[in-house]
Amino acid sequence: MRNKGAQLSLALVCLIVGTMFGIQYKTTSFYKASLVPARIEDLTAQLNGVTGERDNLSQKVASLNQQLEDIRNSDKEMANLQKELQLDNMVGGLYPVEGPGVSITMSESSSSLQTNENANGSIVNVLDILRLVNELRASGAEAITVNDQRITAMSEIHWSGSMIVVNQNRIAPPFHIQAIGDPSMLESGMSLKGGYLETLKFTGVQVEMKKVEKIKMAAYNGSTKMTFGKAVN
Amino acid sequence: MYWIGIVLCVALGVIFGSKLPIMSYVLTKYMSIAVLAALDSVFGGIRAYLEDSFDNLVFMTGFVVNTLLAAGLAYLGDLLRVELYLAAVVVFGVRIFQNLAIIRRYLLKKY
Repeated sequence: MRNKGAQLSLALVCLIVGTMFGIQYKTTSFYKASLVPARIEDLTAQLNGVTGERDNLSQKVASLNQQLEDIRNSDKEMANLQKELQLDNMVGGLYPVEGPGVSITMSESSSSLQTNENANGSIVNVLDILRLVNELRASGAEAITVNDQRITAMSEIHWSGSMIVVNQNRIAPPFHIQAIGDPSMLESGMSLKGGYLETLKFTGVQVEMKKVEKIKMAAYNGSTKMTFGKAVN
Repeated sequence: MYWIGIVLCVALGVIFGSKLPIMSYVLTKYMSIAVLAALDSVFGGIRAYLEDSFDNLVFMTGFVVNTLLAAGLAYLGDLLRVELYLAAVVVFGVRIFQNLAIIRRYLLKKY
């Protein structure tokens, strides 16, 4: 039956098959170029796996965030405690501080003694230092050193034999008292009429006070102990 | 000279097909099965043509129904999660090779 009809239908079918070929080839080559044509089932399985993983991870993130929050909170408390401790230590003289303030230098009178003057008067007395320190405190000093000895809550300034002792360290003239605080407040507080600084000048001690932009004070480096005292709750 | 005609028709179809827009990716699987079925029909038709047993109605219905059925079966297999398209691939593949062998023998005998 090699007639025209057969040839025509064969030709038609061949045309259709060719068209299908063309589309198929174009499509597959397009997808091959654009994505690795992994099987859809594989991709679905992967998607499911990844989704599950993501859910797990997001749960983890939530719990870790919670932990972080907790740690931050406790850290905050810790930081507050640290700050408080530091402040207390600074006040107590157990922590180095720096800041503006005044510096007072006292030296023995350079002028030779006058005949009518008391030799003792011109020598800086331990009480002079004590009173100056006290006056500085009254003027609003926050931290004080005497010849680089930090004045702590239990610091002594006393006369021992022929030397002045601060923090159980002997100090020698010239005496150098530094105080951290509002410089102008300190200065005006110290140079009040009838204040001790003025009195000192009359006795022939050379006193020099100046504002300082920045004073650095070391911490008290001796031992601190509380043998008899006990904390009262 | 009908070989030239067949090749020409296929080439024309390929050119025409490559001008058409691409299909969605999901359809390519069924399209490949349909192509296989159509190819089987074509080779079957050529064989019948060579054997002088060509029936236009059988050929055309076989082409259309086989193609649609193959694609439909593959789709059904996907719905049922049975890889039915493998059956179509095997069956049509085997038949294509059988037809090709018969055509080859016929041609050998002829020339």
